[in-house]
Amino acid sequence: MELDDLRRQWQQPEPAATPALTPTQLDALRKGHTTGLVARMRRNARLEAGFNGLIGLGCLAVLPYAHDNLLRAYAGLTLVLVIILVVFYYRVLGVLGRMAEPTGSVRGHLGTLAQGLRQLLRFYYRLTLASGPATMLVVWGVMLGRMAARGQFKHWQMSVFIGVLVLLMAALTQWLVVKFARWYVQRLYGRHLDRLESQLRELNEPAM
Amino acid sequence: MSAAPSADFLAALHEYQPLVRRVCRLYCQDADDRQDLFQEIVLQLWRAWPRYVPQPDAKLSTWLYRIALNVAISNLRQRTRRPASVGLEDEAARYLAQSTENSAYEPEETAALYAAINRLSDVDKAFVLLYLEDRPYDEMADILGITQNNVRVKMHRVQEKLRKQLVHK
Repeated sequence: MELDDLRRQWQQPEPAATPALTPTQLDALRKGHTTGLVARMRRNARLEAGFNGLIGLGCLAVLPYAHDNLLRAYAGLTLVLVIILVVFYYRVLGVLGRMAEPTGSVRGHLGTLAQGLRQLLRFYYRLTLASGPATMLVVWGVMLGRMAARGQFKHWQMSVFIGVLVLLMAALTQWLVVKFARWYVQRLYGRHLDRLESQLRELNEPAM
Repeated sequence: MSAAPSADFLAALHEYQPLVRRVCRLYCQDADDRQDLFQEIVLQLWRAWPRYVPQPDAKLSTWLYRIALNVAISNLRQRTRRPASVGLEDEAARYLAQSTENSAYEPEETAALYAAINRLSDVDKAFVLLYLEDRPYDEMADILGITQNNVRVKMHRVQEKLRKQLVHK
């Protein structure tokens, strides 16, 4: 039996044909969560962007009332991080918006998805690279500032020791964070990207 | 997305629902997966519908096939993981037992062909689907985004793959 033979049967209506969807069923469908990964990523990105916005608002609220210089510096640095993240999520949502449009040809759509996923992987990786030192600057800066304010750096040997220790800890943390981020992002999206690229290769294969 | 589907969308969906069901049938063996895929395709069609502009040289079916295949192939969904090789023949036979009463072929032959199709890649399945749907090569090329010549060559290769699978069965 060949495809031509199957074609004769294929378009026959299913024996137990499902009735047409009613507007009520469609409405329920619309309210339900889509199972698509892109839609889920968009939902998550919106939630994370909203959460960051709230943190930013919190920092703005704290800034005018903070009498402690360290607290003010902490809130200011966090605000800068929030602004960077808002720009990041704006770009992520832009990429995801393009990926969510399935009306193009199959090859075009697969290309858009693969390109979008590659961009997202780059974004996340760069964000991790950039936010690691920035976060450490905030955390260690506040801690060291407090120690200095309490007069705990009276001896220069102690200051050097703490400085070197902080640098080593920062380098180790950054190395671990980058390793973890690479593994995590690859685990989350890498297999999708591999599959999309393989499908694209199947379609792109030159006709010989 | 508008709160209620427009009448023309409902009419189009009513007309083309069997097409969407056939796409789901080819890509999913499990009834739950099939229903998930069906819902996802309908949702994407509904979202895209306001941007659909009827053109004299483009069929609505081409637009529908594109969206249905894009959702089915790109498959960036969180599917329940089930062993792919379990029950393929059973599923095909079950379906065929209902629909091959007038067929000249034994249900086992048809089930074997279905099983062979199920072992193809998602991209190859798209060629099979469009072939079974009797789409002309120019429309297949338009849906898939490749040249007609490429469609011919790949269609030939897919048929060869199926023959080999059936021989080696």
